[in-house]
Amino acid sequence: MLAIAGFMVIVAGIIAIDAPPLWRKKQKKELWIFFILLFFGTTLGILHFSIHKIPNPVNWIIIVYKPFSDMIATWLK
Amino acid sequence: MLDNRKISPRQYYIMVSLYIIGSAILVIPATLAIEAKQDAWIAEIIAVAVGLLILPFYIQLGNRFAPMTFVQYTEKVLGKWPGKIFSLLFIAGFPFLSASLTLRNVGDFMTTQVLPETPIEAIHIFFLCVVILGIRYGLEPVARTAELLFPFVILSFLLLVILIAPQIEFKNILPVMENGMKPVLRAAIPHIAFPFLEPIILILLFPYINRSQESGKALFTGMVIAGVVMIVITVLAVLVLGINTGRLAYPSYILGRKINIGHFLQRIEIMMALIWMITNFIRLTLLFYISAMSIAQTFKVKDFRFLTFPLAIIIFILSIETIPNSVYLQELVKIWPWYALTFALGFPLLLLGVAVLRKK
Repeated sequence: MLAIAGFMVIVAGIIAIDAPPLWRKKQKKELWIFFILLFFGTTLGILHFSIHKIPNPVNWIIIVYKPFSDMIATWLK
Repeated sequence: MLDNRKISPRQYYIMVSLYIIGSAILVIPATLAIEAKQDAWIAEIIAVAVGLLILPFYIQLGNRFAPMTFVQYTEKVLGKWPGKIFSLLFIAGFPFLSASLTLRNVGDFMTTQVLPETPIEAIHIFFLCVVILGIRYGLEPVARTAELLFPFVILSFLLLVILIAPQIEFKNILPVMENGMKPVLRAAIPHIAFPFLEPIILILLFPYINRSQESGKALFTGMVIAGVVMIVITVLAVLVLGINTGRLAYPSYILGRKINIGHFLQRIEIMMALIWMITNFIRLTLLFYISAMSIAQTFKVKDFRFLTFPLAIIIFILSIETIPNSVYLQELVKIWPWYALTFALGFPLLLLGVAVLRKK
């Protein structure tokens, strides 16, 4: 719980640093991208700090490439 | 776009060599020796040779993009929206994921060898902070930092070679090719992919070099320097540590620990660890910079600095979560070459194929 609280403080700090300049210059597109990426990162962070599990892209890579890699491995045995 | 045509070919080749030495200098001797045992050095030479042989393809590719950035080129060739999706897939799939794995390399090394009681998260956060600082200053200050640190890296490396030389035992290298060629090839394949297929990422920096006709040569020089360093460290590891190289997680660090001149000059391994602190810093910074810059270009925003913190959070979480344990890492090492090949060969060939068909 403490970890999540600390993480949210960091996220708030990031918003405080980077959002106001974009807001002042009325850069709407930049603000959208910033908050979408930050939302994505925060979601991953909360998943990580609460249940220690996120959808792992490396898992997908291994599932997709394993048959091919095994084929080469037997060929080089 | 920000940061245009700012770095010199010299700065570029220095960054390339530090990038390629990167985390590879730490882990590669072991990865090679697990399969090839005392023939690890042959596998290393094969990997460097293949890396240099495929380099002209990447230099051609880089020069082809160079008047434009990679993102602009894909948009021109594939059309606006397919181009954007293609660039984002490439960036997320290769440089961005590599960045989080590189960060994990730093953390694993520090927690297992240097600071065993420190949580890995703390090391990742501090390392990322320095990287973000560098990126927010822009490419030119990073290039100058690389230029400043490069002599230090080369000097420490030479010092390591000279100081460890008394412990070389040539019998460690025998028998040569005990089990034929296949173990050597098995060992070389992951190493060709990491890091010698990665010029595909480095050529994305071609548009930022101020004398563009020299960028190909600079890339080549950088790769040669990195290749020589990698060959020397692997040969040393085999000559000093023998087949034990494959049992150690970080053989080049152990080399530093083995230095012992007259029972006086010893335990200077942390000096040696500074080499890969620096190379890893440049590697991570370039991967992060290229990712942030390309995302900014894809969405056609003028600045990329506001992207650094959100991206850093994602890199941080991925670096902690993607590799749960070292067995899993071994699994990934087997898979990675084919994954890297998709991005290093599949993506550019697809792009070139469409470019030829649409005559652009």
